[in-house]
Amino acid sequence: MYVYLYDNFLRQKKFDAEIRNVEVRLTDYGIAGKILRLTNYTDAKQIIDDEIKRGAKTVVIVGNDHTFGHVLSRAATCECVFGFLPIGPENTIAEVLGVPVGVSACDVLARRRREKLDIGWMNNRYFVSRLQVKAAAVRVIYDSKFSVAANDLMEVVVCNLQPFYWKRDRDDLEPRVVHPQDGKLEAFLRPLTKKRFWGYKYESPSVFPFEEMEIVGKTPFTLEADGKISKELKVKIKLAHGKIDMVVGRNRKF
Amino acid sequence: MFQKPSPSIALENEDDVNGAQMGAGGPDEVETVVGPSVNVEGDFASEGNIIVKGSVSGSVHTSRHLSVETGAKIMANVRAGGARIAGEVRGNIKVKEDLELMATARVVGDIEAKVLKIDAGALLFGKVAMPGLSNTDNKSTARSRGNLSKKGDNPILELAE
Repeated sequence: MYVYLYDNFLRQKKFDAEIRNVEVRLTDYGIAGKILRLTNYTDAKQIIDDEIKRGAKTVVIVGNDHTFGHVLSRAATCECVFGFLPIGPENTIAEVLGVPVGVSACDVLARRRREKLDIGWMNNRYFVSRLQVKAAAVRVIYDSKFSVAANDLMEVVVCNLQPFYWKRDRDDLEPRVVHPQDGKLEAFLRPLTKKRFWGYKYESPSVFPFEEMEIVGKTPFTLEADGKISKELKVKIKLAHGKIDMVVGRNRKF
Repeated sequence: MFQKPSPSIALENEDDVNGAQMGAGGPDEVETVVGPSVNVEGDFASEGNIIVKGSVSGSVHTSRHLSVETGAKIMANVRAGGARIAGEVRGNIKVKEDLELMATARVVGDIEAKVLKIDAGALLFGKVAMPGLSNTDNKSTARSRGNLSKKGDNPILELAE
């Protein structure tokens, strides 16, 4: 049985036609199911657990990157297969998963090509796409073996599913893309150095693949994980291997 | 002009990059990069290639290639599969395959490598050992000593007498 979790933004009129087409296509394939609408205050894990008890086998997230992160940050441990129907703008994860945006995503869902995906674990919750520490005076300890610090401020970006592009220099034409099945998370550290009079400029980034890391700050720093912002003093980040059973497309980037 | 640093700057030119090749940097090409103005302390180990542009103290170990860029500083013993050094290293270097010291390299410490290439201008203070040669050299010296003892005549002793 399929359960579809619709994001709240899909109530907008401009998405009506696309949603209708998607529902028609799903009915054609015989995989239409129960539709639930998410709001900001909905606990996705509780909903999915209830539906699994009622016999749901596949939970399909309908929306964009924010919806994907919102659902899976809580519900990653649920024992079911996840699918994704990307609709609307801000769909970078769909590209990595090889799922086209719009109606044609139903074809990928119907084929049910499944892969186990790695996700990140951070202070008692999961993050799926990306974690970012805004520029702050922090120290990063990797695998309890070595520590990395900058002379001044430093920005940290940990990527899992959502791609992070960077260039070695202006002329670099080969940007790097993070793959979800590396077996490691990748941390990008960008130190900031003071300009001559005021302001800061970014130095070229450092890249460290890791399985466990700790970010420690002397003062609380701002952290954004899957779109949720919080203030932390110490964050422990780990890699959880093969936690999500996901329906992916043939054109996936891993 | 007076823009503050923000995440959007950090993720610069995403749109421009989207058009470029997506598959670059696959799992086999996992690279650790220590950027400039970054200090690493401790036992720095990696399974992939390492590029050092900043400073590292402690120890560095990789089974693959290590590249120390110009301006980089390593205050540590280094073990690597292969290495190309253009910066400063204070510590012993042990490389399984090729070691290349560029013209800007400054090395204070002993070197052990299978193949060593030193560009003109590179500074080196320390012993150099090449495993392949030391084995044959030991054998040849042992043989020569054996011959001398059999014959019973030592040229150095003769000269002394």
